[in-house]
Amino acid sequence: MFLTRDEETVLDGERGSGPQQAMELLVALGTVYDADRLIPITSAHLSGVSYKTIGKGGLSFLNDMASDARVQVRTTLNPAGMDLERWKDMGIQKEFADRQLEIIDCYDRLGVETTCTCTPYLAGNLPHIGESIAWAESSALSYVNSIVGARTNREGGPGALAASIVGKTPAYGLHLDSNRKATVVIEADIGSGILNYTLLGQVVGKKVANAIPYFRRIRPSQDEIKTLAAAMAASGAVAMFHIENMTPEAHAMDTAGLETIDIGIRDIASARDSLSTGSDPDLIALGCPHLSDVEIIELAAVLKGKRKKSDTEVWFCTSRAVRRRCAKEVAELERFGKVLCDTCMIVSPIEENHLCTATNSAKACTYLPTLCSQKVVCASTVELMGMIT
Amino acid sequence: MAEGEIVALEFSFSFLGGVDQSSGLLQGSGSVGIAGKVFAFTEGKGSTVGSYTMLEMKRRGTLPVAILNTIAEPIVTTGAVICRIPLVDSIDVSVLRNGDRAIVDGTRGAVEIEGVELKDVVTCILTNGDRFLIMKRSEKVGTFKGKWAGVSGFVEVGEEPIQTAVKEMSEEVNVTDARLLKKAAAILVRSGDIVWKLHPFLFAIDDVRVEIDWEHTDHRWILAENLREFDTVPGLDKVIRALLSA
Repeated sequence: MFLTRDEETVLDGERGSGPQQAMELLVALGTVYDADRLIPITSAHLSGVSYKTIGKGGLSFLNDMASDARVQVRTTLNPAGMDLERWKDMGIQKEFADRQLEIIDCYDRLGVETTCTCTPYLAGNLPHIGESIAWAESSALSYVNSIVGARTNREGGPGALAASIVGKTPAYGLHLDSNRKATVVIEADIGSGILNYTLLGQVVGKKVANAIPYFRRIRPSQDEIKTLAAAMAASGAVAMFHIENMTPEAHAMDTAGLETIDIGIRDIASARDSLSTGSDPDLIALGCPHLSDVEIIELAAVLKGKRKKSDTEVWFCTSRAVRRRCAKEVAELERFGKVLCDTCMIVSPIEENHLCTATNSAKACTYLPTLCSQKVVCASTVELMGMIT
Repeated sequence: MAEGEIVALEFSFSFLGGVDQSSGLLQGSGSVGIAGKVFAFTEGKGSTVGSYTMLEMKRRGTLPVAILNTIAEPIVTTGAVICRIPLVDSIDVSVLRNGDRAIVDGTRGAVEIEGVELKDVVTCILTNGDRFLIMKRSEKVGTFKGKWAGVSGFVEVGEEPIQTAVKEMSEEVNVTDARLLKKAAAILVRSGDIVWKLHPFLFAIDDVRVEIDWEHTDHRWILAENLREFDTVPGLDKVIRALLSA
């Protein structure tokens, strides 16, 4: 891999040990993936934030980096293990909160915008078509590759951090035109709604692993695409997809000769059955990925004038940016549960207080049993609202 | 360089959620641990936080000593780099067995399995129309007695597989005028302590009358869908699929 003289000086440690470590990682990745050089990025988004998931090892790593490294490009952050303002309401222990705040402080010192959302594109970090970026967070990177036509690889948390510190990323994978082509066609006949799209993602991700699907016959909304992208990236490793007549690079795709997979209602019903492992939820959680403005407004409209029928805990997870924009609707939702920011039901330690969670996100259903020891009820938004009113 | 006992999963894996960080036990497995092992899986999937999970496992002493993948996905590669453990890709995980002892050289990108030998053989499928020839191996052969197979033979030192193929066709079925239709990529199949590297060849002949030699006691011309009725040598189904698919 060719490095400029400037890049060599960073590798030699002349800018500090944090930048040196970052450059070492970029060069190692570039070598593995046969990149011929580094290319500049316009933004980064980082995963690996919750103390629950990165622990003392991650905190120590970030502390080291923050001692002399600073991000060179606009960088946003994934959700943390708690609402940074309301963590006491969540029942979070002080020891956890202290460590979590230390992690946020490391990112702060690095110069990262601590937006703490998996939907950075709704919180001010929206790339342009063709821009090379380095985003971790599997749902968001897939979304911007596909819907915006920005270019990022499926970065691990530390890889995106390294890229943001150097301001560059190795030129391989999805930064190259030839690697962005569809590799499998999905003919989907599944109806509409968040649950159907999230389950479609679950089925596709499992079947195609890291392929680039080209979808026919679907016309999803922004939020349906958001949950589709998240599910495929969780059950599989999909980092990019095309939707016929919708996404910016779809028209240029030649799908002749590609394998076609048909997915229908029976496949997604079967996926729903596999994901549902429990009944009688003690937590109803929405917002994986974080709820958008539209979703908050729609939920508030559904709940308007209704009364909460049980005292089951309810979480609406969203970004601080969306919460601020929808203050009136948020107040409506707060009658039924907590509108939490900066966190979600997967990366916060819900296992300390709950046994069974109901949700409309296949991505959440994938992680709830293993990361949160939960039994899972996989239900539609309407069914979830029916559980609380 | 690293060495250790293999734990192999013939499917994709997410470090976040896939393993308990404090014990190194695989989720949902009961008691299969990857701490200190050579951990093989087809490719990474799921969470981008997985690289940090690997770092935390290193701190806790539960990290594998090496990773073997069919496809190296960036999240896993990033974790391997920051944890400084070797990762070798392009591995066919189906030939690995739990408990094999492996030596992994990350720099050369090579894996050696202790006590396991790699043997090159050709497998020739003769077709006539939509049928192909299978033969029952006699009691006099060295391996897989009584199993059904194509025309096969060991690739000798200094021989190219195509030369072996032509030689075996002449010896085993007395056919010298077959037309070579296709050569497929080599297929690895594990059987006991041997990994067979099968080199598949597809031939067409016009005359179904073949003379079988001492190596076989019976022969049939069958359709692809009948293959499952026969007790075959390992990997024959993969060979058929590789040669007869469009």
